[in-house]
Amino acid sequence: MSLTIEQVEKFKKEVAVLCCRLKEGSIIDESHLEDPTILPELVDSGLLTIPKNCARIGQVIGAKLLKTLDALTPISSDVVEGIKEMDLSNEGITEDEIFDLDQKAVLKYNMKFGDVIKASDLENPMNFEKMEDSLLIKLSEKVLTRGEVIGKKLNKDTVALTPILPEMIEGYKATEKLETTPMDTNNGSILKIKIAEGKGIDIEIPMGGYIGHASTIINKEKMAEKPVEIPPKEIRRLTKKYFEIHNVIFGKETKIEGKTLYIRENIGEDALKVDKLVKEIKVDIIGPDRYKEYSETIMDVQPIATKEEGDKLGTGTTRVLDGVIMIVTGTDENGVQIGEFGSSEGILEENVMWGRPGAPDKGEILIKTEVVIKEHTNMERPGPLAAHKATDFITSEIREALKKLDEKLVSREEEFIQLRRPGKKKIVIVKEIMGQGAMHDNLILPIEPVGVIGGKPNVDLGNLPIVLSPLEILDGSIHALTCIGPASKECSRHYFREPLIIEALKDEEIDLCGVILVGSPQINSEKFYVSERVGMTVEAMDVDGAVVTTEGFGNNHIDFASHIEQIGMRDISVVGASFCAVQGALVVGNKYMTNMIDLNKTEEGIENEVLACNTLTGEDGLRILAMLKAIMNGEEVLAPERKWNPEVKENNLRLIGKN
Amino acid sequence: MGLYVIPLRQHIGAPCVPNVSEGEKVFRGQCIAEPNGLGAKIHASVSGRVVKITEGDIKIEGEFTEDEDYIKIKKCDSIADTAFEAGIVGAGGAGFPTHIKLKSEIPDGFVIANCVECEPILNHNIALIEEDPGLIVRGLQYAMEATKAPTGYIAIKSKNKKAIESLKKEIEDLKNIHIKELGDIYPVGEERAIIHEIFNLWLTPEQLPMEAKSVVMNGETLANLARAVEDRKPVIDKDITVAGKLKSGKDSNIFFQVPIGTSIASLIEQCGGIDGEFGEIVIGGPYTGKAGDIDNAVVTKISGGAIVTIPLPEFGGPLGLLVCACGADENRLKSIAGKMKAEVVATTNCKNLVEIRGANKCLTPGECPGQVQAVMELKRKGAERILIANCSDCTNTVMSCAPDLKIPVYHHTDHIFRTVDHELSRRLSLED
Repeated sequence: MSLTIEQVEKFKKEVAVLCCRLKEGSIIDESHLEDPTILPELVDSGLLTIPKNCARIGQVIGAKLLKTLDALTPISSDVVEGIKEMDLSNEGITEDEIFDLDQKAVLKYNMKFGDVIKASDLENPMNFEKMEDSLLIKLSEKVLTRGEVIGKKLNKDTVALTPILPEMIEGYKATEKLETTPMDTNNGSILKIKIAEGKGIDIEIPMGGYIGHASTIINKEKMAEKPVEIPPKEIRRLTKKYFEIHNVIFGKETKIEGKTLYIRENIGEDALKVDKLVKEIKVDIIGPDRYKEYSETIMDVQPIATKEEGDKLGTGTTRVLDGVIMIVTGTDENGVQIGEFGSSEGILEENVMWGRPGAPDKGEILIKTEVVIKEHTNMERPGPLAAHKATDFITSEIREALKKLDEKLVSREEEFIQLRRPGKKKIVIVKEIMGQGAMHDNLILPIEPVGVIGGKPNVDLGNLPIVLSPLEILDGSIHALTCIGPASKECSRHYFREPLIIEALKDEEIDLCGVILVGSPQINSEKFYVSERVGMTVEAMDVDGAVVTTEGFGNNHIDFASHIEQIGMRDISVVGASFCAVQGALVVGNKYMTNMIDLNKTEEGIENEVLACNTLTGEDGLRILAMLKAIMNGEEVLAPERKWNPEVKENNLRLIGKN
Repeated sequence: MGLYVIPLRQHIGAPCVPNVSEGEKVFRGQCIAEPNGLGAKIHASVSGRVVKITEGDIKIEGEFTEDEDYIKIKKCDSIADTAFEAGIVGAGGAGFPTHIKLKSEIPDGFVIANCVECEPILNHNIALIEEDPGLIVRGLQYAMEATKAPTGYIAIKSKNKKAIESLKKEIEDLKNIHIKELGDIYPVGEERAIIHEIFNLWLTPEQLPMEAKSVVMNGETLANLARAVEDRKPVIDKDITVAGKLKSGKDSNIFFQVPIGTSIASLIEQCGGIDGEFGEIVIGGPYTGKAGDIDNAVVTKISGGAIVTIPLPEFGGPLGLLVCACGADENRLKSIAGKMKAEVVATTNCKNLVEIRGANKCLTPGECPGQVQAVMELKRKGAERILIANCSDCTNTVMSCAPDLKIPVYHHTDHIFRTVDHELSRRLSLED
C-alpha cells in the first residue's frame, strides 16, 4: 500500500521498498513506496531481505530510478540517481555497526520488555574476559551470539550486563514441560560411603534408580528389595497458543489481520444494550505511549482468550492474544468509583504494579472500557456485574475473531501438564475468594476463559468449597468481579497466570491433587459454615499438606483463620498466605496459624492502592512451597517477631536459595 | 552573549570575597574576588555585566566577542607574587595556591613537573605538551628560579612517546632538567607516588614533598605560571577534556583555553550533544571524578574533564563497598550504588586508607596492602557483590581473591570505561 505525504515525513528514516513495479527512469514519489510498518512481518516470513545499502524513504523521494524494479523490492542506493543526503545517526534507525556477529551477546544497557535489541545495545566483547573473571557475567554455551539477537525483541525487563539466553527473546519456541524426570528426585538423601581400609571392594549403585527421599537412612534389608518408583501419571494437559498483536485500532468490523486487531467503531453502542443498568460506555485503546494518562479505578484486568472448538476449560487448546488485554474501569452516574476499599484511579503508569500476574505487563496495549452504571448501584450486586457484562460483550466479539485466525500465526505456545505424582507428599491449594456480595463476587467456570456466560457467581453457590483442577484455574475459570483494595486483589488475569499453581505443578517433590475455591461470605456464621466444609473436603482428600491463600485483608481474615484451623485440627500440615504486614495485621488467630507467608511488597507494609502490588508472585509461591515441604517433613517454623519485620522474608529467601 | 558562572571557591581554603557588585561592568582579566586567608585571586574570564552575586558564585552576562584580550596583571618583583596576582592554583585537581609553593626555598632541592596525567580518558595535558612543550619547560624554569631549586624533573608516562620526544627536543641544552618516565598504572601521578618513583622514598601521608626537598607542580599549572610571567595573564582559561556518550563519537574532545565559568553543557553541545540516554556526567577523571549536574556544572580552575557515561547496570541485590583513598570516596560509591539500584549492606575501607586533615590519603599509593580481609568482611556482612574503588594494584589483589570467594566485582570506573571502550580496571597482566 502506498504512502501519503504525511507518512513520508513520519517514516523518512525507514527503509524504502517499492510497493508496486516501477519503470526505469521514473521519479520516485510517495505513491510508489510500501508502508514500512508491515515490512518486519515480511522480513520475518522470509519474503523480503533488506540489503545493508537500502536507501531510506526520505532519501529516495524525488530521485530517479535507474532500472525497472518489481513490487516489494528494496531500493538500494546504487539503483537510484539523485539520492538525498540524510543524517541517520542517533535516531530512528541507526546505522548500527554490525561487527563481531559470532561473539556472545551481552546487554550493555538496562532494557525493558518489548525493546528491540540493536548492535549498539550490546556490550563490547573486549570487556568479556574481565567481566567473566569478575563473575559479573557467565558466557555459557546457551548464550546467543550478537548475530542471533540483533533485531530481536526482549520478552522481559532485563538489566545491563545480562548475557542473552534464548528464553529471553520473544517468539522463542519453548514448550514448558512440567513433567518429572525420576532420576533427579532424590533430593535430600545422602549416600555416604566411608572406607577406612580395605581391599577388593566392589560397590554397585543402581544409577538413575530412585532412592526414596523421605528417609535418609537406608536399611540393608530394604536395599535388597528393588526400590519402587511409581512414575508420574498424566491427568490432562492444556496448551495455550499465543497470537501476537502489535496494533489495536478502530475499524468497520472487529477482526484480526496479521498482528493488527481492529475493533468495531460502534461496538460501544451495542455493549450498552447488554444491561439496562449500563448508562454509558467508552472504549479506549491505550498503548504504552498513553500510560501517563488518567484512568478511573481498575476493576479488573482480563486476558483475551478463547477455547478451540469442542475444548472445555482446563483442557485442550486455548487461544490467547499476546500484547493486548482488557481493562474494566467504571463509576456510577455520580462519578463514584466502583470499588470499595480504596481505589486505583489516577495516572495509569503510577497506579499499576506492572508485570504482576494479575496486572498488565509493560508494553501491552490496553483495551479499556469506562463503564458508567446507574447511580447508587455501585455497591449492589447487579451494578458491577453489569459493567463486566458490557465489557465482556466486546471481548466476546474479539474472541470470535480470534477463533478464525490461521494456526500459522501462532507465535509461541505454553503447555501445562497436570501430573499426579504417586508416592510424593500430596497437597491441595485452597484459594479463598471474595463472596460478600456487590463487586465481591466471582463467576466460576464460564464457558470461555474469563467469560461471563455459563459462569456461576460464588455468592449464589453459597460460597461453598468447590474443587477445580489446577489447569482449570490457569485457563480462566474465574471471572473476578472482586474489588477490594487494589493492591491485594486478585484480578481475573491473576488466576489465568496463578504463580503458586504454576510453581506447584513444576515441583517434582509434591503431588498437587487439586485446587479448592471457597468464597468469603459476609456474615460470620456463614464464614464458619463454609470453613467447616473446607475441613471436611480436605479430610476426604487425605492430603499431607494444604496451602490457604486469600486476597484482601480484614473481614475475610476471619474465615481465612478458620480454614487454617479446620485443616490444622485434622493433623494436616498447613501454610497460610495473605497480605498482612502492618496495615493488614491479622485480626484473629488460632494455634494452627504458625506457618504464615506475608505477601506484602511495600516498604511500609501498607495497602498502597497500586494495582496488584501486594498480590502473590512466583517468588511467594516458592516461599510457600518451601515452607510447606519443610513442615510436612517435620521441621519447625520459628515464631515471628512481635513487630512486622521485612527481614524475615529476605532471610527465608536466602535460606531457599541455599537449598 | 552568554552566562558565565564563576565559583568563588576554586581552591583549597575559604571562598573568595567578591570586590565587584551586581550590575557592575567587568572586563576579561579584571580581578573580581580576593582570597579570604588561604586562597587565590579570581578574575573575570569574560567582559560583561555582573548580573548576580551569591554566596557561591558570581554570574556574568558575557558579551560575545572573538577578542581573547584581557586586562594584564600588575608587574611584580617576584615570581611568587606574580603567581599570587594571577590567581594560579594547582590545576591538577587539588587547587593548592601556587604562590605558597613558590615561596619555599630549596637550594639543594628539586621542582618536579607532574605531567603524568594519571586519569585515563583525560588527555588535554599531554596534548598541550605535544603542542607547546616550551611553555611547560619555561614554567618549570620559573618555578626553579623562584624556589632556588637547582634541578628539575618532568615526570611523564612512558607511553606518551610523542610528548616525550617534543620535551626532549626542548630540554636538549638544559643540563639541569631531567625526564622521569613512569609506567601506565593508576595512581602513579599521585604526588608521593612520583617522589617514590624518583627518589625511592615513601613519604608518610602527613608529610609534604618539602620533606624530600621537592616541590611538585602540575604541568598545566606550570604553563599558567609561564603565561603569568611572560604575558601577565591571570588564570581565566582552562584546558579541559570532554568525552563519553556524545554524538561526535567516543574519542575524547580536547578544548584548549576555555573561559572559566563556561557551562559544561555548552561544551557538550559543541561535541554534538549527548547521544541518547545517559547515566551520569562525571566531572573530573574516571577514578576521582564525581557526578556533576548538567544544568549547573561549569569549568573551574581545577576541572579536568567532563565525561558523559552510559546508564549504570542495575543490580537489585545486596552490595558491599570497598572505599579507597586513590579512587572514589564513600559518598561517591554510595551514589553509584544508588544509580545501580543496589542495596548497600556493608562498607569498608582499604586498610591503607588514612584520614589526614579531612581528606582520605593512601599510605603507599599504587602499592597494595592486601585486600582479602576487606573482601571477606563485606561478604560476612551479607554482600553478594562488591563495588570497589581501588587503584590498579589493589584492584589486581581484589581480583585474586573475590572471585574465588564467589563474589562478583564491579569497579567504580566500569560504566565510564565501558562508555568509551577503554580497558576495564581488573587483573594486571603478569608480563608488565
